[in-house]
Amino acid sequence: MAERLHITPIGDDGMYILDTASWRVFRPVMDKEKCIECGMCMAYCPVSAIKGTEDKKYYITYDFCKGCGICAAECPKKAINMVPEGGQE
Amino acid sequence: MNYIDVLRESEDMVTPGMSACQGCGGELVLRTVLKVAGKNSIIGIPPGCMAGAGVVGWNYSNGLHIPVHIPLLDNTASFLTGLSQMYQRKGRPDVNIIALAGDGATADCGFQSLSAAAERNEKMLYVCYDNEGYMNTGYQRSSTTTKGSRTSTTPIGSVINGKQQQQKYLPLIISMHSVEYCATASPSHMADFVAKIQKGLEASKKGFAYLHVFSPCPTGWAYAPEKAISIARRAVQSNLFPLWEMDNQGYHLNFENKTPISMEEFVKGIGKFKSLTEDDIASIQNVVDQRYRLIQRICD
Repeated sequence: MAERLHITPIGDDGMYILDTASWRVFRPVMDKEKCIECGMCMAYCPVSAIKGTEDKKYYITYDFCKGCGICAAECPKKAINMVPEGGQE
Repeated sequence: MNYIDVLRESEDMVTPGMSACQGCGGELVLRTVLKVAGKNSIIGIPPGCMAGAGVVGWNYSNGLHIPVHIPLLDNTASFLTGLSQMYQRKGRPDVNIIALAGDGATADCGFQSLSAAAERNEKMLYVCYDNEGYMNTGYQRSSTTTKGSRTSTTPIGSVINGKQQQQKYLPLIISMHSVEYCATASPSHMADFVAKIQKGLEASKKGFAYLHVFSPCPTGWAYAPEKAISIARRAVQSNLFPLWEMDNQGYHLNFENKTPISMEEFVKGIGKFKSLTEDDIASIQNVVDQRYRLIQRICD
């Protein structure tokens, strides 16, 4: 805000980033024993909070996950569980 | 390349934290379109949920890693026409010119400029995320809202019981403008959706490409956010939202629906349909069946 360089924002300057992780009531937890690394959760995640590594393994990042539960509902192997936030680890 | 590989390996062009609701279909559409389009793109997002969720940026901040413009609700296509013409003249036809508009800015307010740009066959990809209403301002009805939906301008009460009119089927209207490419897509059928974005981007170098994407809205439609994808899937399975595409070879049906589910099954669990009468369901079913028969006949 201090430097008002542009009227129309361009490129990577001054990103608007909201702490959407604070909205989360349930957190998705992946059970790697059931997971078959199909990547469906990554494709359906609206926030792109599920990332894939180069060797096609998938993991959940919690920095911006809103806890909508789409990944848990769409997982073909039911390998993602929604766990209450702030409860038992 | 498999669509999962495309999505995994491409960079996310959108800010990680944007203020779209939990389980927002529009956010999924935006991120998927821009993942496939990549860095060499310019996007115009008219007022609507995706603009309101901070993607266009507030207070001199930005919500995307690519240049983003916020045209008016009714001039998205004409705004991007100017942009597209400028890039052609500068000798940079490789830049993807993309519009991402809601159904209000496409079917209602922006229809005149959209129709004109489609007829002129301007080089751009116009993506409409159809959440069946003006969600950003609290779900007013639009012309693509399904009959019987509870909206804030067509409430359920003693005088009327939700929206009284049938929805307007926009993708067929746009395809009749003899555009380069026109298709419908649903986030539930991701492989088909990603392939259509790629085809649309390719066609946008030659002329006008239009993509109509179904986008369920948990807040407006009143359902639990985790059901978003399954509702989109049921919309395709019930023939409410058939998947087809039109290119210069003609029309093609992408999802041959052998055993469609009934409208009764589709509306289950969606709050905005909760006081539909049997007559309402029958009349929606009638329109849906007619539309699907029409699409079956024009597709080869």
